[in-house]
Amino acid sequence: MKKFYTIKGACPQDCPDTCAMIYKVEDGKIAKVIGDPDNNLTKGRLCAKLNNFAEHHYNPERLLYPMKRVGKKGSNDFARISWDEALSEIKKNWQSIIKEYGAEAILPHAYLGNLGSLNGLTSGDRFFNALKTTVAEKTYCESGSSTAWMLTYGPIGGLDPESFAYSKCLVFWGHNPLSTQTHCWPFVLEARKKGAKIIVIDPVRTRTAKQADIHLAPKPGTDAALALSMINVIIEEGLYDAEYVGKYCSGFIELRKRAAQFTPEKASKICGISAENIILVAREFAKSKASAIRLGVALERHAGGGQAIRAITCLPALVGAWKYPGGGAVQMTLWSYPLKWDKMSRGEWIKPGTRVVNLLDLGAALTGEKYNTDITPIKSLFVYNSNPLCMAPNQNKVRMGLERDDLFTVVSEHFMTETARYADIVLPASMQGEQLDIMFSWGHFNILLNQKAVEPAGECVSNTELFRRLSKTMGMTRPHLFMTDWELIDEYVDWDSDTMRGIDLEVLKEKGWARLWVGGSPDIRAPYSKGNFPTPSGKCEFVATGAAEGNHVKPALRSGYTYFQQGSAIDPIPCYIPPYESVDSTPELAKKYPLAMVSGKAHAFLNSQYANEKLQKERQGEQIIIIHPNDANKRNLNSGEDVKIFNDRGSFSSIVEISEDIRPGVIYANVGYWDSMIKSQTGVNNVTDDRHTDMGESGAYSDILVQVEKM
Amino acid sequence: MAHIVTNKCQRCRFTHCVEVCPVACFHGDEERLYIDADTCIDCSACIEVCPVRAIYDQYDMPEEYQTCIAINSKALDFPVIDTKHEPLPTAMERKKELGY
Repeated sequence: MKKFYTIKGACPQDCPDTCAMIYKVEDGKIAKVIGDPDNNLTKGRLCAKLNNFAEHHYNPERLLYPMKRVGKKGSNDFARISWDEALSEIKKNWQSIIKEYGAEAILPHAYLGNLGSLNGLTSGDRFFNALKTTVAEKTYCESGSSTAWMLTYGPIGGLDPESFAYSKCLVFWGHNPLSTQTHCWPFVLEARKKGAKIIVIDPVRTRTAKQADIHLAPKPGTDAALALSMINVIIEEGLYDAEYVGKYCSGFIELRKRAAQFTPEKASKICGISAENIILVAREFAKSKASAIRLGVALERHAGGGQAIRAITCLPALVGAWKYPGGGAVQMTLWSYPLKWDKMSRGEWIKPGTRVVNLLDLGAALTGEKYNTDITPIKSLFVYNSNPLCMAPNQNKVRMGLERDDLFTVVSEHFMTETARYADIVLPASMQGEQLDIMFSWGHFNILLNQKAVEPAGECVSNTELFRRLSKTMGMTRPHLFMTDWELIDEYVDWDSDTMRGIDLEVLKEKGWARLWVGGSPDIRAPYSKGNFPTPSGKCEFVATGAAEGNHVKPALRSGYTYFQQGSAIDPIPCYIPPYESVDSTPELAKKYPLAMVSGKAHAFLNSQYANEKLQKERQGEQIIIIHPNDANKRNLNSGEDVKIFNDRGSFSSIVEISEDIRPGVIYANVGYWDSMIKSQTGVNNVTDDRHTDMGESGAYSDILVQVEKM
Repeated sequence: MAHIVTNKCQRCRFTHCVEVCPVACFHGDEERLYIDADTCIDCSACIEVCPVRAIYDQYDMPEEYQTCIAINSKALDFPVIDTKHEPLPTAMERKKELGY
């Protein structure tokens, strides 16, 4: 007879929905993974990315054993070795590097390939901080957005996406939830049934934009001008909430003065949308009272992305939307979680003065362009939870760095990604059904326990076990480095926090998840109806108190390290910073490269994850770019043809789709395709640049110009 | 690519699917339901709840139902069905006929 049981889990992906899952196990194998039908958001369904999550665990291409490189870097020529051999190889190389150059010659590279508190972003921090390596600044996503959000409101989780059901006007700004936050949509439809308007602001007519009542498609990177113009209209027409602003906001006079510069006519020219539409949206937003804004991750990916978020975040406070359930804004609910980031990273173990390398500069750091590598070169790279050759900007530079024969590279992975092909040692990582973790979310207020359903495949290990093994290998003795997973769960969560009322491990083991205590149920929740924002002034800060050091990265994204913030002062009043590259701001460059390129998330992939799964590949189709008919005609292109997209940094190939889903002068491409899936064997990030934006050292991924021609 | 309601829905129309659909992509007439492919997000929630397994992911839909793709493309000719309706009077008989 078959042995059958179920166990509660949670989705590991870097997506705001963090679904409650149920692993169905049959004879020691995960037979099926389903969404928990009893969960308030998951409601029994996963998504186009995760529906075959059980099969993903048993993908025949999965890495199951440690391997060492036996051929040329990048050639995929590896031989199986034992864990002992792999660890002693790492030890030998690192000891020799440390002896000659110091531990700062080692660079860890991680991101959110797993979102878990134990196995996610910070899972290697304690080990690398104890080893005294270079500190990695991990700002791939939401760093500038977080910095800007907190300058306005402080570290608040903001509006509950479940409260969208009670909104009267919903603005999705640079966000396409029907591909990237699908579980919030029933709440949106509920609001629409009660008469709410849905507004989407996005240069692309995305799945979400197609469902909107109003879709504005501004030129990429002009969101701040649009938001300031909306503020202008709201103030000039007397549509703001004078009482809320007077009591709970600071800097109204300054904001008014700044916004006065952005008349709808002027913003119309900057943004490429009509003044009438700007006025229409401003009025709709102001008059609806319970108005909500969901800020998308795309907003920060431009020269002035931080200031754009500053401007947008002023809007709900200006109209007093926070007074109503369903009113306000949400950037990341994550800031409400009682996580002990300091314990997760142990930033105090870092020696003051240790070098920081921003990971968006991976190529620049490895090729010696930046970071004093003439004094301390980077001689070893340790990659986990990430696939930088696909997802880091300026791909050619990254590849050049990875090709270095004198670079000792270790990659912990599920699959032989393009990055892993450049490794000297490959280590096999376990998947979510094979490990324990406690999960937070950045799109709801549930805390979830992911319990191990089965033993790891082959010789795979969780990140927690990986770093315990490495700690032992490197002769470390700090007891914290050897804590068990259950001990880590106990240490990383502030179980005594007010938000954890009534929640303990027993509850989570039984039910799998629990809603944090964050100020009432979604139908009545309005925790900022009387201000109480955790900013220096206690108010919503239209003028940012923290502007002098405004351009900084939150310590959680830099292993808890507080030294060497590369940033500088910012304009304390929200302002418009034009794109680095655009027809308007760099007309000379635009003669050569006249098209702006926006790159966004694919519907069926999670960044580069799942792009190697047959089902997801079939769903997503081949790499395409979307181009407007006017731009296609100028180039004599027909839909379905192969085109080359290029600029001075590089090029990639794609199939062209001609459609009015994109505004003229802009092309759109999904990221995540592996190079091997593309004719040119290069990806979208071959043309992106490693420039940082105005806040939080975010990447200016969608602030680039390109040219397109027939192949 | 999207999900497809096959002809198995005819004479059944149980409408369990519309209750779990997060995007209200089901449309219907007196006979059956249709999926609007542009609105469907491929979450697959509807597949398991259908008493006669009438819905398939286009990815692994049996060959015999390929003609249903064209039929579903007419979805927008009919109103959205997003609340559960009574099954058709012939539903139980049809269910049996289909072997469920």
